[in-house]
Amino acid sequence: MFQYVMRRLLLAVPMLLGAMSIVFFAMRVLPGDPCMALMGDQATRDALQDCVRDLGLERPVVVQYGEFLWKSVRLDFGQSFRQHYRVTDYILRMFPYTFTLVLASMVIALAIGLPTGILSALQRRNPLIDYSVRLIALLGLSMPVFWFGILLLILFSLHWDLFPLIGGGDMTTVLDMLTSGECVTSPEDFLAAVVDVLHHLVLPAFTLGITLAATVSRLSRSAMLEVISQDYIRTARAKGLSERLVIYKHALRNMTIPLLTIIGVFMAVAMTGTVLTETVFTRPGLGKMLVDAIGARDYPLAQGAITVFTMMIMGVNLLVDILYAACDPRLVYS
Amino acid sequence: MAPKGKHASSVLTTPERFPTADAWRQGRRWRRWRKLFPMLCGIVLVIIMILVAALAPWCAPFSPSEQFSAYVLKGPGAGGKHLLGTDEFGRDLLSRIIWGARVSLHVGLAAVVVGFALGVPLGITAGFLGGRVAMLIMRLTDMLMAFPTLLLALIIVAALGGSLVNEIVAIGMALTPNFTRLARGLALTIRANDYIMAARALGCTPVRIMLRHILPNAISTLVVIATLDIASAIRTEAGLSFLGLGVPPPTPSWGNILSEGRQYIKCCTWLTTYSGLAIMLAVLAFNLMGDALRDLLDPRLRGE
Repeated sequence: MFQYVMRRLLLAVPMLLGAMSIVFFAMRVLPGDPCMALMGDQATRDALQDCVRDLGLERPVVVQYGEFLWKSVRLDFGQSFRQHYRVTDYILRMFPYTFTLVLASMVIALAIGLPTGILSALQRRNPLIDYSVRLIALLGLSMPVFWFGILLLILFSLHWDLFPLIGGGDMTTVLDMLTSGECVTSPEDFLAAVVDVLHHLVLPAFTLGITLAATVSRLSRSAMLEVISQDYIRTARAKGLSERLVIYKHALRNMTIPLLTIIGVFMAVAMTGTVLTETVFTRPGLGKMLVDAIGARDYPLAQGAITVFTMMIMGVNLLVDILYAACDPRLVYS
Repeated sequence: MAPKGKHASSVLTTPERFPTADAWRQGRRWRRWRKLFPMLCGIVLVIIMILVAALAPWCAPFSPSEQFSAYVLKGPGAGGKHLLGTDEFGRDLLSRIIWGARVSLHVGLAAVVVGFALGVPLGITAGFLGGRVAMLIMRLTDMLMAFPTLLLALIIVAALGGSLVNEIVAIGMALTPNFTRLARGLALTIRANDYIMAARALGCTPVRIMLRHILPNAISTLVVIATLDIASAIRTEAGLSFLGLGVPPPTPSWGNILSEGRQYIKCCTWLTTYSGLAIMLAVLAFNLMGDALRDLLDPRLRGE
């Protein structure tokens, strides 16, 4: 088991390295000039040259690449070109927003998608249930997440004024209160801050969660169909177990591995979703940061954001692989 | 689907325990219709879209760039001639959506062709030849797979700059790993067949085996996935345009109509509603068609 985990970890290293290289070189062939983007096209040539020197862009690309990799190992992504804060700090500040969004939407997607998918598989002889679930899932799958987000905004924020139109709440305060222990000394303030954050989270989480529920529903339907066509289900039925026992004890337990696959797929789709969702709701986060950074030709910021994204996806996939092995020991030895 | 036999027609057609022959036949007809209906919907929608896009100069009521200064941000039905309303420059929304269909379809189809043309040869080569080459190709594919499609397309399009061709290249390249992986898997299974060994024994070159024996046997599955990928390409294109990285503004695309309309959601919801609806219908159409094609061409993928 330990060997297996180590092997997976070692395999992840060249992949991460490759992904980071792609990002680095893609950024360097960007048509726009970061200094031009920074200072406007009215800037004098001298000013531009100074700027290039300040940002360290006059050095050979290979040197910049080496520096980028070496620093990234220590999770230091350099300084942002625009505002001169450290990228790592900025990412750390944005991370909780994206993390809570992904987590909340995952809960919603699994809570809606899994039961409907399983139900639709079990009731596949009943067209009313199976077909309506599949139709709704197909509609959800076809719906662009940014459009759904805007529709929710129009209804719930503009029309009924139930939720805020933009922003992500004050996450920093909540985290500060948590670390300083203020959440214990003044629980009311803490609660108010948490409620504010959650208030901002509801619409984005539902937007992402419901569109992802469609994918989860389809995946879990076919996974369930796969499971109930297995011989052990037939055996269970043949020996006269009640249908309830067959489903709960034999079928659902064997859904664990497909469920892990679903979570792995989910992560990649959710990451895409956060980029769009955060843009729609003008919510701070890694996705929005990435889009802004690309627009402003802010190399370090974009590189940092994409590296963190990739690390998150790879981390979840690694975790899924390890859990696979834990659930099904056959995988380790083959 | 339901097994053939007495139980199959149960739920809808026969309240009695033993169905009459007539009811049974009716049940079968209903089942077949139920299977065909989604595909028909998909095909009809796709055909309508292709026609609309191809005939945009004739079927759009106005030019997409014509500005009616008297009708700025007017709602659907304004002046009795702007069916879906107008945008902030007084341009007719319906005409812009019709012209936008061109961009979406163009990118959707061309990107899948690019992805197919790059990914399938790589995948079949990796699956058939194996060894070092396969290892290299698959490691590279795994690396690209670490990026979700939109993220990868975002990076590429950012590197190349936003234009129609760049968008096609970016989305095509982002779709490539899917095709490579699928084609490799198929090639691995097909390679194990006796007819491949026979072809080898007859002295066929590897290239000939790949082209004449493996590709034809893999093509139906690949086409199914390609159809579904058109849907995802259209969605990705809309996403890129929405983020401002698609076709530059004067050209209408569904994504940038939506993105521009976002500034006016407080007053003029039709701009975002209808352009988003167009994206959804287009994606839905190709998804329906892909699902139905899968049932028809490749029962193995059905998961039943």
